Amino acid sequence: MFDENTLGLIISSFPKILEYGLKVTIPLAALAFILSTILSVLVAMVQYAQVPVARQICRFYIWIIRGTPLLVQLMVAFYGLPLLGIHSNPFVMAVIVFTINEGAYSAETVRAAMEAVPAGQLEAGYCVGMNYMQIMWHIILPQAFRTAFPSLFNALISMVKDTSLASSITVVEMFTRTKQIAGQSYNYLPLYIEVAIVYLLFCTVLTYVQKRGELALGSYGVRK
Amino acid sequence: MALLEVRNIHKTFGAGDVLKGIDIKIEKGDVVSVLGASGSGKTTFLRCINFLEKADKGQLLFNGTTYDLSKVSKAEMAAVRKHTGFVFQNYCLFANKTVLQNVTLGLTSARHIPQKEAKEKALDVLKKVGMLEHVDKYPSQLSGGQQQRVAIARALATDPSIIYFDEPTSALDPQLTAEVLEVMRKLADDGMTMIVVTHEIGFAKEVSSKVVFMADGVIVEEGSPKDIFVNPREEKTREFLRITG
Repeated sequence: MFDENTLGLIISSFPKILEYGLKVTIPLAALAFILSTILSVLVAMVQYAQVPVARQICRFYIWIIRGTPLLVQLMVAFYGLPLLGIHSNPFVMAVIVFTINEGAYSAETVRAAMEAVPAGQLEAGYCVGMNYMQIMWHIILPQAFRTAFPSLFNALISMVKDTSLASSITVVEMFTRTKQIAGQSYNYLPLYIEVAIVYLLFCTVLTYVQKRGELALGSYGVRK
Repeated sequence: MALLEVRNIHKTFGAGDVLKGIDIKIEKGDVVSVLGASGSGKTTFLRCINFLEKADKGQLLFNGTTYDLSKVSKAEMAAVRKHTGFVFQNYCLFANKTVLQNVTLGLTSARHIPQKEAKEKALDVLKKVGMLEHVDKYPSQLSGGQQQRVAIARALATDPSIIYFDEPTSALDPQLTAEVLEVMRKLADDGMTMIVVTHEIGFAKEVSSKVVFMADGVIVEEGSPKDIFVNPREEKTREFLRITG
């Protein structure tokens, strides 16, 4: 299997695979992660604050998204949005679907982290004269974010790999590019192993970033 | 006119009536100790008058304004809380803020006082409670007594007309209790108006100007420390004092 030609193919394809990883896979995951984190904080806050009606809408959103496969969501968006008159390129569509999908899961992570902040923190905030939003911004969200950070990063690592599903809606990302190269050479297995290693490389870097991030966020003097 | 007056507070939790009509008047400079067994409603009373619990019925007269405790608006709550301080049994310092930030936050965010001015004020009150050398520490790095002293500084920083203390030493060992009571005694000497829900009979006897004894959601007896501790009129009060020594 690993004859001279194969080795040559692996080496020559590496920059091409990596290029699509850096150009498409990482930006797709990063954009969707940032947007989904913002979305998840909003959805979590609506539930935490028990805003009537909006809260039910959020629960409905989470129910729908968590109850259906990501691949199906991509397909529904790909074929459904144009019917609604929304035409956009597949990359943007993928960012939107991944954002909405991850937002539902992360919203639960963030909500749980907010609920883990002791009630006394909110009460103490009121007692020094702060209003609800000031307490959220200065007290509850920073503490919740610290708690949620490892789980959110977990989601990011998952998403980096799930971006390969975007190939199903014609986004040429790292995996699709690998399939193209493999198709030209009829030499599939070595290239799929190669792209697996590139995913692993990305996730290894992210794991390191997570560790540094946790240190940077600190633990408010709690010894670890 | 009294600084603060409470009329006929009622509060029910589930099936239990916790407060069954409390009336009290607090004058400027009063140090009122509220005594009573666990479950007598002391803490609920304190939480109701700072809106941490919503009373079912009752009125609060504060700074010349009357508030209906059963339907007070957010703006009214904020207006009252800008002039009151609250010290919790379990301190409730902001865990993600340093000692200094804990004290300045209420000034900079809620009152829009410039950072520099807030810091000066904070250092001033932290000095008063003897926590000046710990300003950059986080709450988790402090002892319970130190945390409670910072919590008192946080309440003091906003120049409140009155400070409510909810069992401020109940989570502390005797030595740490002494250091917190010492700070409270200093506040009383400076003329700060305070309502102190406490189990510290010694503090109530020596520091307070008025003692209130509660049982089963009502005020059984109130008067000067001498009235309550030397000549209690009510049997319930006498029994409570016998048990607590």
